[in-house]
Amino acid sequence: MKLSGLITLLLFHLLGEAIVQLTGLFIPGAVVGLLLLFFALLLRGRVPGSLEQSSKTLIGFLPLLLILPSAGIFFLGENFNDQWLAFAGAIVAGTLLTLVFCALLMKLMVGRHD
Amino acid sequence: MTELYTSPLFAITAVLAAYQLAVWLYETSNRLVWLHPTISGALLVAALLASLDIDYHRFSDAAYWLTFWLGPATVALAIPLYQQWHLIRKMAGPLLLTLIAGAAFACLSAVAIAWYLGGSEITLLSLSAKSVTTPIAIGISESVGGLATITASAVILTGIVGIVFVNLTMKICRIDDDRIWGFCLGLSAHAIGTARAFERSPVAGAFSSLALCLTGSYSAVFIPLALQWFR
Repeated sequence: MKLSGLITLLLFHLLGEAIVQLTGLFIPGAVVGLLLLFFALLLRGRVPGSLEQSSKTLIGFLPLLLILPSAGIFFLGENFNDQWLAFAGAIVAGTLLTLVFCALLMKLMVGRHD
Repeated sequence: MTELYTSPLFAITAVLAAYQLAVWLYETSNRLVWLHPTISGALLVAALLASLDIDYHRFSDAAYWLTFWLGPATVALAIPLYQQWHLIRKMAGPLLLTLIAGAAFACLSAVAIAWYLGGSEITLLSLSAKSVTTPIAIGISESVGGLATITASAVILTGIVGIVFVNLTMKICRIDDDRIWGFCLGLSAHAIGTARAFERSPVAGAFSSLALCLTGSYSAVFIPLALQWFR
């Protein structure tokens, strides 16, 4: 098993974190790392096999990595009890409306565009 | 036993086992959407913590070794993005316009509905970044005066609502195009939506990854400015 793909991902994450620390940028290091890696790939013109494999594996495990943060929703504490209606209502309705809003907007534009 | 329950060995074993069980549930239920591994896995972990009376935050710290990989996994989204770049470039105009209007809509609709339902100021502020991926959302929330814990949960619940309702809403809007499907899901439901989009197709996944990055970066600038203006 080749580790070079995984190391590349870690190095770009590290580079992103370093840039955030140096510039005080408001975006997380991982997102900066993503953008840097994307531009590096554009310059290079192809994806090395090992990098593609590592990326596929990690992306495939995203649902696993999100389990623990997701469980936190059940542990917001008693102070939050009177906020649940506004909290859940805003999220459920807001997210449904956002999905519909974006879908219709894009459909309108892409329909004309194609 | 408390010591053992909050050890990395126990925490990581428990989360991995919960994931495996969740995947099994999801597959045997023929991919019932509300049994998606992120949802059923979180329910299993929450049930375990509640039944053994384990402190969530200590448990979460113990499993840091797992959560750590969210960073490199985010960086890894650059690869599908690059591979689908030829499709993305062709749609740059509609994508950017949807981003600008859609990310603003996601923030303002949540704040407005919570205000209407009588949410406190802290809740409103914490909800503003709900459609943004967790690490950016927490940064935004803190800068506008929200609470990180509420924001993290808001982000997660948004993701779950997104993947539960994406099929229904896209059907209502008569969308079958993987590019639109992925971009809308990534914009509304960040990383959880993106994980789901990759299950549909690599194209949907790449457009969702793009929306995730763009929404995060744009919202980091837009939300603090918009909320300042409202006060």
